[in-house]
Amino acid sequence: MSKAYNILVAGVGGQGNLVCGRALADASCAQGMLPVVGQIFGASQRGGSVYTHVRIADHDTGPLIPRGRVDTLLGLEPLETLRAAVDYAGPQTTVVLSTMGVRTTATHCEEDGHPSSDEVVDALATICVKVYPVDAGAALRVIGTARALNAYMLGALAALGNTPLHADNIKASLAEIIPLTGMNLAAFGAGAQDIMDVTPVGRNA
Amino acid sequence: MTPMAKSEFCGMIMSGNEAIARGALEAGIGFCSSYPGTPSTGITSTLMKDATEHDIYVEWSVNEKVALEAAAGASWAGIPAICPMKSLGLNVAADFLLNLNLSGTGKGGLVVVVCDDPKGHSSSNEQDSRFYAKAAYLPLLEPSTCQQAKDIIPYAFELSTRFEIPVIVRSTTRLCHSRAIVKLGDIPKRKWRVTDNLPERLYNVPNPHLRHRDLLEKLELVSKEFENCEWNNLDSRDSTELLTISTGVCHSYVEEAVALLDDNAVGRLRLVTTHPLPKQFLLNAMKGIERVLFVEEIDPFVEDEVRSLVVNHPSGEMPQFYGKRTGNVPAFGEMNTDILLESIARILGVVYEPLDAETLVAVENARKLLFSRSLTFCAGCTHRNVYWALRKVRQRLKGKLVVAGDIGCYSLGVFYDESMNTMQAMGSGIGTACGLGQLGRFGFDSKVLAVAGDSTFFHACIPALVNAKHKNADITFLILDNATTAMTGFQSHPGSREQAKNRSHVSIEKVVNAIGADSVITGDAFDITSMVELLHRTVLKKGLHVIILASVCRLEEQKRIGSYDTEPEVYIDLEECSGEKCRICVDDFGCTAISWDCEAGHPVILEHLCVRCGACIVVCPHGAIRHR
Repeated sequence: MSKAYNILVAGVGGQGNLVCGRALADASCAQGMLPVVGQIFGASQRGGSVYTHVRIADHDTGPLIPRGRVDTLLGLEPLETLRAAVDYAGPQTTVVLSTMGVRTTATHCEEDGHPSSDEVVDALATICVKVYPVDAGAALRVIGTARALNAYMLGALAALGNTPLHADNIKASLAEIIPLTGMNLAAFGAGAQDIMDVTPVGRNA
Repeated sequence: MTPMAKSEFCGMIMSGNEAIARGALEAGIGFCSSYPGTPSTGITSTLMKDATEHDIYVEWSVNEKVALEAAAGASWAGIPAICPMKSLGLNVAADFLLNLNLSGTGKGGLVVVVCDDPKGHSSSNEQDSRFYAKAAYLPLLEPSTCQQAKDIIPYAFELSTRFEIPVIVRSTTRLCHSRAIVKLGDIPKRKWRVTDNLPERLYNVPNPHLRHRDLLEKLELVSKEFENCEWNNLDSRDSTELLTISTGVCHSYVEEAVALLDDNAVGRLRLVTTHPLPKQFLLNAMKGIERVLFVEEIDPFVEDEVRSLVVNHPSGEMPQFYGKRTGNVPAFGEMNTDILLESIARILGVVYEPLDAETLVAVENARKLLFSRSLTFCAGCTHRNVYWALRKVRQRLKGKLVVAGDIGCYSLGVFYDESMNTMQAMGSGIGTACGLGQLGRFGFDSKVLAVAGDSTFFHACIPALVNAKHKNADITFLILDNATTAMTGFQSHPGSREQAKNRSHVSIEKVVNAIGADSVITGDAFDITSMVELLHRTVLKKGLHVIILASVCRLEEQKRIGSYDTEPEVYIDLEECSGEKCRICVDDFGCTAISWDCEAGHPVILEHLCVRCGACIVVCPHGAIRHR
């Protein structure tokens, strides 16, 4: 029984988290591996934290990643990425996160106590081996929609190439779930391109 | 539900819910009745998609009790029926279940699937519904993986048909919503025809105690069958020092914890048939074992049963028990691998550190930066407008307004300055209001307003509303009518705008009028200004008054109409905005499409979230928010 490869997708309800989880699971399936996806939906989709655990193995695993065992953390929102890291990341974790925040209804500004995305990245860098912050907000403004965040982030993850999943498989799986044309396609490409220019920070960076 | 993914390498990736639905098809069911409720909804919605292809009847019933009654009708007539529901749904259906168990289910077969929600991710409690199996003396099966969730359903039907009693299959949120590869079986081609006659004596009088006796005899036979069934399995050897007995999805946590600890001293017993217990199988498995750890969600159901099983055995022959009763695993909340790693390591006296010291310090420092993220209404949700209006009315009444709430998206009203004061069960808003509305005689001087949604109205509010009318309670009953079951994903109900063919529309307004409320007023949850006046005026009146507010679920609307691009944009006129001095739009109203520019000190409309409804326009006291 070999170790599972663990990907955790962290974000806020409505960001396309479940689509990311499905695309990654389908991509691993296409490569002949056994994915198990743990997720919660329902009330948490109303603006709460949403995690999708994607576990890729050669055997059936439980639906939840044990503490400290995340290999790749895909962060759709800084605060939720940090929350996920606190609960599940370890020194081997590679993080790809969007720096575009979704503020909570109680905290809109740093003066309200909300950490800036820089603070989040710094904190992640003390826990994880490599942290790749990407400015999804800027890229999506150019493309013209913030709704393609999941495609953008999957593009970045695919291009980074640190998971066992081939970029083409991630792309093909995503295209089965959402129409990967127009702005979605542009976002996927932009993510793939932008990640190449990011210098990671982190414990081993 | 999302469609199932297909891969040439590994068949189907399915959620636990989809697997249960598939199992029902492979069992050859003919009938499904259900009321939506997270985490169970996906079972019925999957079957509904496949209904025509497989010639099965599927309905969203008005509530879980009616659903179970309908399913029993089908089973009595020889048609195999499945009735999926969430934990709390079984409370509603329990009255019937605890009679049906004695009457029997006839030749068709009836499987109740109950999906519990440990930690209450999408529920108002975290009840363990397995106790209903004990209360009703019924067989209970708990699959632990998506594969087993599919495989167990045909067996459950076979058991039900053979003993002519309902069989309960219990899942939990993590199994319902997890997705994994499932190897499929064949779906039989069946053309169901009803039996010539219904079974005799579909009632329990005059001697329900004798029916009880007969059921106990059946249960004894079921218990014997469970002694040698393929579902339970034991992985234990002579070197086993600790045996885990786990149920449901917890078994996968045990497997992983033991693998991570790399310890050969731990044996594992997966128990799928959790009621009635296979007593001899368990006693044999525990023979010579020093320690046993119970791993289950949510209550110590199996733990207590096994403890009582060995009570007559001489001490010394039986193992030391660890579990929720001994505090070795928490007696509340969800289980996970980490809890078991810690618990098993402690029992074995070994050390397991998930993180090194340096990382642990970094994690604890990072934790200090975190903020909780409370649930919110979606951008443009008209429920937000309603609670805004209710807060205004409460201010006018100097706080003397009690809002008795109910179950649905609008339950989030408790998070908006407690503008909703209470929230328990389906229909309990108007029910508790019936009591509160009688307390004037004891000096209760607050106005009483009950809130419910449209699907909840049909589910459980009508008897309480009749009671309120009959007793002349002083209540205003506010029905937030968005014409869909929004919380669970837009299932249709009797009052839905769109009805499938062969379904009739039932008007909430006509029902309420027929009950004879002193007034029935329709309003618009979009129009905040008139809503405040309407609510204020109405709560001051004596008697029973019903307000039906036309409401909109923006998620459902977006599915229907696509985008809001043709509507005029909403913008903030910075000349008029008071900035930091005010912040009403962002702090008090709190639409998720309004953010704050921290450097410039003014609100910002988030274009990608804004549905351009303009509800915030009247919320701004300075007239700074406008339609373009």
